[in-house]
Amino acid sequence: MANETVVPAAVQQDSRRETIAFLIGVGGWLVPGLGHALLRMWGRAVMCFLTVGVLVILGAGMRGNVFSSSGNDAFDTLGFLADLGTGTFYLAARSLEANGADVSHAGGDYGTRFLATAGVLNLLAALHSYEAARGRKA
Amino acid sequence: MNAGMEFKLSHLQSMLLFALLISIAFGFLSRRRPIDRVKYIVWSLFLFLLIGVGIGWAMYPFSH
Repeated sequence: MANETVVPAAVQQDSRRETIAFLIGVGGWLVPGLGHALLRMWGRAVMCFLTVGVLVILGAGMRGNVFSSSGNDAFDTLGFLADLGTGTFYLAARSLEANGADVSHAGGDYGTRFLATAGVLNLLAALHSYEAARGRKA
Repeated sequence: MNAGMEFKLSHLQSMLLFALLISIAFGFLSRRRPIDRVKYIVWSLFLFLLIGVGIGWAMYPFSH
């Protein structure tokens, strides 16, 4: 009889933990470093925020391509998904690039890579915070 | 950033910045102790630069 009352409580606790972990992951995606900050991993939070932020500022400053949802081909769509990985910084990148993209020279091409890398890096950090919240990573 | 502000970086500067930022992020995400992080960052940065310069030299004959 004791097991019948303990197991549902444990399942409920796991479910609650999963929900919190998911919210932390989403928070980490929306604002780089927020997921780790919520877990009180301050060093990781600050470094995620700074590295993603610097990559976005450099990428936009070098006039890299910030892809939009209205892509012409699969590569544009993939680029958009990568850029979207920066969360709210995607909007910042669009507003920072006042003159638009210019990939006719190497700087603009590097900028495109910087922006995409910032997005993928932030997704990795958000996934890390999600796993840490589930107790799978230290 | 205003409309006139742009970054003009050379290939080497771009590669160095990219390698440094990614190495720092990887180091902080994958290691917990500060000394382990520093070792990871230095090693990762070294490999980024080695492979970057190596690929650059490997492509050099095709550019002529």
